[in-house]
Amino acid sequence: MRLTDDEKRILDGRQGYLAARCMEFLVAYGEAAGAECLVDIDGTVDIHPGSNPCWVDGYRISNEEIAQAAKWGEQFKAPTFGNKPTPGFIVDGCQGCRTHPSCEPAYVESRLEQMKPLVQMGMIPTLSCDYYLTGSYWPTAGQHCSWGESSAIPWVNAVLGARANFDGCFQTAYLGKVPKYDLHLDENRAATVLCTYEGKLSTDMDYDLFGWAASEKLGMKVPAFLNIGRPTVSQLVKMNSSLNTGGQVRMYHIPGITPEASTLEAAFRGKKPQEEVVVTKEDLRRIYELVNCAADTQVEFVYLGCPHYNIVEVQKVARMLQGRTCRAQLWVMTSPGVYALAEKMGYKAVFEEAGAKLMSGTCVGELRGELPPYRVMATDASKQNYYTTGHLHPREIEIWYGTTEECVDAAVTGRWRGEWR
Amino acid sequence: MKEIVIRGRAVYGGVAKGEALVSPMPMMGWGNVKPELGYTVEREHPLKEVPLKDKILVLPFARGSGGFVMYGGTTRYGTNPAAVLVNQVMSITILMAMNLKRPVLTDFDRNPLEVIETGDYVEVNGDEGFVKIYKGGKPG
Repeated sequence: MRLTDDEKRILDGRQGYLAARCMEFLVAYGEAAGAECLVDIDGTVDIHPGSNPCWVDGYRISNEEIAQAAKWGEQFKAPTFGNKPTPGFIVDGCQGCRTHPSCEPAYVESRLEQMKPLVQMGMIPTLSCDYYLTGSYWPTAGQHCSWGESSAIPWVNAVLGARANFDGCFQTAYLGKVPKYDLHLDENRAATVLCTYEGKLSTDMDYDLFGWAASEKLGMKVPAFLNIGRPTVSQLVKMNSSLNTGGQVRMYHIPGITPEASTLEAAFRGKKPQEEVVVTKEDLRRIYELVNCAADTQVEFVYLGCPHYNIVEVQKVARMLQGRTCRAQLWVMTSPGVYALAEKMGYKAVFEEAGAKLMSGTCVGELRGELPPYRVMATDASKQNYYTTGHLHPREIEIWYGTTEECVDAAVTGRWRGEWR
Repeated sequence: MKEIVIRGRAVYGGVAKGEALVSPMPMMGWGNVKPELGYTVEREHPLKEVPLKDKILVLPFARGSGGFVMYGGTTRYGTNPAAVLVNQVMSITILMAMNLKRPVLTDFDRNPLEVIETGDYVEVNGDEGFVKIYKGGKPG
């Protein structure tokens, strides 16, 4: 990989030991990736705070080193956002959730205390997988970024038209540089596949299932989606999440909607599609059956908020719960930013009166099986569903999947009554 | 004994040999990999609970969460595959390879999924960028 004179000086340690260590990682990573050079990050970075804001063991910057750097007043070069902490803990609303150690406010305090050096260095503590919805600042089209959340990668590339691979970490934030390859380059961003939905996508669940079904057929290819309607923010966020569960679609175009596709021709940058793929309602049904892995209709636990619910989704569930009481445990997970809004709007009280829990900052998956011993749960997110059986392994759990409405109904009645429509 | 050579590019160099374990389906990490046990627990996966230890793992690509890098964490527990042959890579596969510290090859001149079957004996040379396949198992 070609380095500039400045970058060579960083590698030689002339900007200090920490900068040299970070550069060693970027060089090793860039060479493994076949990148020709590094690029300056003029957009944003996100990192998973907690025990590991670095992706590779051998290049890990320890918590002690981060604390020391913060003490010396070192700052991240690029605007840097906090993703979900790992391992997970419940940032807001942990009381009475019956998980250990996350139910202990003292534990939560200690975890927040641990990440203070990162905040001192400039990490904005959005603490969410969809930090981009509450961060109040985002990259503009064409800017180079380094993000670290599979469900967020299509947001930066497809929705915003900025450029990022999955590699957000301490090193890219600290140096404000990242290897320039793959989605940083024009030629890898054009659509190669025309992907058409035969039917009509309307509910949030439709988009969640479509993302999975389409990405199973697309793998890592860049599609232009046709006939998928005009998705809402909630629907895009869900679709992005499942596009990176069933497959690995990190960049796509929706002609007339996403910034690099004012027209269908623009999506393909003037070339012809190499392939055409059709997704049908039958494909959606197959994914629906795949993620419904339950037989017992007595539901004990309902999980909503993957990716973290936005304020409109929280509002929707609060309205459904108004004046009702839950028979099953219901967790509604959001980001700390949306949690504060929901509290201001009185929704937290609505949840509490219904016997449900509004929480922020993590998910069942990130809690890595730290759950009460429920046998039957329900969720409206295909990604969370499909990973939860893995997280709990070898413990068995039955998981229903359906619309948000069906999940709230299950929380209230304690019974699963969802069905394919 | 039929012997086939295919060429590829090393994401991580080194040499390794062993029995092939072919995953026709892409693999995913995060909750669906147990690095300490060295296998996937993805509920619909044909390799669910099949140990990767010492195998030459062959797969089309990584799908899903960035937690795919956790396959690289198998080295920490000694449950790691000896090498990985993966048709298409992206950042999470590259970061996995840097954790695995074992040969990881990609960009082949022939699709390894069409050439290699589980049980074949495979020699991987990441330094020189080739893979030698002995159909049906170890020669001699």
